[in-house]
Amino acid sequence: MHRPSILVLSSIVLSSIVLSGCNRKDTFPNRPITFICPWGAGGGTDRISRQLAFQLERQLGVPVNVVNATGGGGVTGHSRGARARPDGYTITMITVELNMLHWRGLTSISHEDFQPVMMVNQDAAAVFVRTDSQWKSLEELEQAIRDNPGKLKASGTAFGGIWHVALAGWLTNIGLEASDVTWIAMGGAAPSLQELMAGGLDIVACSVPEAHVLLKADKIRCLGVMADRRLPEYPEIPTFEEAGVDWQVSTHRGIAMPAGVSESRSRIIENAVEQAARSKEFLDYMENTGYGVAAVPSQEYARFLEETDKAFGEVFAGPSFQGLRHKYGPMLFPAVLSGLLAICLVGCIVSGSLSRISERQDISRTSLYNMSILIGCVVLYVLTAETLGFVLSSAVILLVLFSRMRVKSYVAVPATVLLVSLVYQLFAIGLRVPLPRGFFGW
Amino acid sequence: MSDILTALQNVFGDPTVILVVFLSAFFGVFIGSIPGLTATMAVALLVPITYWLNPIAALAAVVSMVACAIFAGDIPNTLLRIPGTPASAAYANDARNLTRQGKSNLVLGSALLCSVVGGILGALVLMLLGHQLAKVATAFSAVEYFWLYLLGLSCAVVVSSGPKLNGLLALIIGLLISTVGLSAVHSKARFTFGIAELYGGISFIPAMIGLFGISEVLKSMLSARRVAATERSEVDSPQELQARATDHESRTSVFGSGIKMLSQRKLHVLRSAGIGSLIGMLPGAGADIAAWVSFAVSKHFSRKPQLYGEQSIEGIADATTANNAALAGAWIPALILGIPGDSVTAIVIGVLLMKNITPGPDIFTKQADLVYSIYVLFILANIILIPVGFAAIKVASRLVRMPKAILLPAILLFCIVGSYSLNASYLDVAVMLIMGVLGFVLERRRIPLAPIVLALILGPMLEERFIQIITGSGGSFAGFVDPQRPLALGLASVFALVWISAIVIGIRRKDKSNIKNQISK
Repeated sequence: MHRPSILVLSSIVLSSIVLSGCNRKDTFPNRPITFICPWGAGGGTDRISRQLAFQLERQLGVPVNVVNATGGGGVTGHSRGARARPDGYTITMITVELNMLHWRGLTSISHEDFQPVMMVNQDAAAVFVRTDSQWKSLEELEQAIRDNPGKLKASGTAFGGIWHVALAGWLTNIGLEASDVTWIAMGGAAPSLQELMAGGLDIVACSVPEAHVLLKADKIRCLGVMADRRLPEYPEIPTFEEAGVDWQVSTHRGIAMPAGVSESRSRIIENAVEQAARSKEFLDYMENTGYGVAAVPSQEYARFLEETDKAFGEVFAGPSFQGLRHKYGPMLFPAVLSGLLAICLVGCIVSGSLSRISERQDISRTSLYNMSILIGCVVLYVLTAETLGFVLSSAVILLVLFSRMRVKSYVAVPATVLLVSLVYQLFAIGLRVPLPRGFFGW
Repeated sequence: MSDILTALQNVFGDPTVILVVFLSAFFGVFIGSIPGLTATMAVALLVPITYWLNPIAALAAVVSMVACAIFAGDIPNTLLRIPGTPASAAYANDARNLTRQGKSNLVLGSALLCSVVGGILGALVLMLLGHQLAKVATAFSAVEYFWLYLLGLSCAVVVSSGPKLNGLLALIIGLLISTVGLSAVHSKARFTFGIAELYGGISFIPAMIGLFGISEVLKSMLSARRVAATERSEVDSPQELQARATDHESRTSVFGSGIKMLSQRKLHVLRSAGIGSLIGMLPGAGADIAAWVSFAVSKHFSRKPQLYGEQSIEGIADATTANNAALAGAWIPALILGIPGDSVTAIVIGVLLMKNITPGPDIFTKQADLVYSIYVLFILANIILIPVGFAAIKVASRLVRMPKAILLPAILLFCIVGSYSLNASYLDVAVMLIMGVLGFVLERRRIPLAPIVLALILGPMLEERFIQIITGSGGSFAGFVDPQRPLALGLASVFALVWISAIVIGIRRKDKSNIKNQISK
């Protein structure tokens, strides 16, 4: 049998197998929905996303798969969510960083690229110190900062992150410089709190639920929360307002779709999200974990996003934040490494340790050819999977490789069919990995 | 005492719990043995289901899945040299080389039983000392972590095979690769060439699959073609080795070799479990570093240190004991301080809160039965791992005996899907491919790959700590050796000792070989 005919035959066999499994209806939704979470598995956003996804699944009747598109301080996930096909099959848990990243020039994506569906959570920033520290109130802490500018160390997130903005904004508000407290960039609230306990920090700024456990254990003290009224879950914590400071910062999380989803589809999603976010199970979860519930419908949410965005724009453009530079720049560490690399390379060359193991392993022309086919197959997959879909692309590369390895076609074709359908069942259906869906939906 | 009895009743009195432990064990072994699928992802998938389970059953699912997943990472690691989880990467070479010699049953048998014993010992250590050990965790600030990470990285160089300078080179290459993307500290883009996808940096799981898996596939293409081209097998062709391997395999049993290994190395196992629990307990360190440190310690005290990084079954046994012992440790800061040691325990805290159980120092007094139940579950999960792991070894060993012409493309497909599934990103597939080619090239120059993987994992954390210390101390290097932090000083001196001894041994060996050369002349 000729190679092209193998391809054609196997494609027919494959498509008939895959298609027989699904009867395509015109109802929406009729296939799994991808739910992008811009933050890592295990974090607050991830936990809320998964809880919500679970409720959504019951509302929509199709699987809702959470994908953690992490990295870049939220850039990766938000960009992918905004650039997804606006067909209603991709929704994103957008977070407050959407209002911040573009002001810092990290991405061009902003809230205008999204069509908000519903805000589900809002948590105000708060300031924490160790219980054994001498500061019992916000005023005392303020005095300590005035007396030793630049001496106290604080953290809660990375440089320029939401909690940094919260703390710096407070300092400017009371007439201090943002640099009067040294900000040590940390990976998030959890490592910052650990560092606070270990004595490496004096102040941590983060939301109250993030510090819930240590607060309950009386290891840390909350000096105030940056909200306009006391939190119903924590009535004993005073607000900044009470201390005479007009400064409020909070994080928000909510569901959004890429802009341009048709009205009929967005209404279906909106209804489902509304039902899910108001379900007893979801509200119970939020209450037990201490997250602030904020069920804000789409139009109001859109207005809220706009206002927040403007407010952050002012913060980042303000003189206080503009003057704030990290002293030890992003190239310091790579520079140190490059120096070490140079020394090490010289050492290797002098000692001759980089010589090949043996001449017997020389690469012949045929094996070079073979390897390039293998590499080409992976490249082919990367290039075609998005348009052809997982099933076709992987079948093609398997057949190419089998034929190169001189596998007889009566073995290669069934092996391909078996492998592809096995992997598809395993990953896409068993493990909820959204494998590439091409034109045909598989 | 009554708490322990309640705990036993909680676990064994409820048939659902036992069923959940069994099912999760199978799920864990399955997830762990597919590279690219992580325990974190599997636990996250479980979370919505735990809503319907009582707290004990919910915890049972997580505990048993994770314990089994870490062992299962050894299966593809041994048979294909693709570490299923990063915790297995330390001994990828050793395991693969031993398999080449037909000793895969020995490796997997030892790995299984050592994992089980390590897991149980880890749970026992924490059951008895957990409350005291939690204090150590709170003493770790940025400086201590900095030295711990450096120590872990040094271990990876020390245990690598071949010239140490090459190991160091690999380490620095890995660290440099890890700086791609937005820096964690400044959120500024570096080496991203304007590609927004690269902001997230190079994820280490696709990189690991590429470095070990794809480069191995490339290597097999090299030898497979030669055999086919000449139409006769050469002396050391893989086929022949495979045949010899099957021959040898039938004579060593999985259990026999495992038990023999354990009985010969009672003290080593205890030592490795100790190292594992200590390191596992530190938030942010975990099973990966534990395996490397234990491997290095094992090499230091071994009578055959030259085998480490090449084909040391002792090293594998000690490292695999430590990585399973580390698992229970991560729960200590999570339960007592509410600070997650890794992403799995972060999810666990969420599950606990959902069940209205607040972690905290009083959890030992208020919820003692729950804490003991967790340890009972750890022990139970590890015992169940024996039959489940054994079955997995048998199935996997059968699978890899497929003809190479079918096996290689299948492995490639799994590598692609495994890399993709982590983040649903094509960039990850590309990273896997590039790393595969890089791994192939580096290995031909005798540069070990394992240090690159650890450097990719620890690089961003090391940089973060480095910048944190230097910002905190206002730019002076005194911050790294603060006399007020004796723990940091201690770790720094261990770091110095490791390097001094490595250099001394290196010089002495060179002298010896020089003398030998002169004699032979």
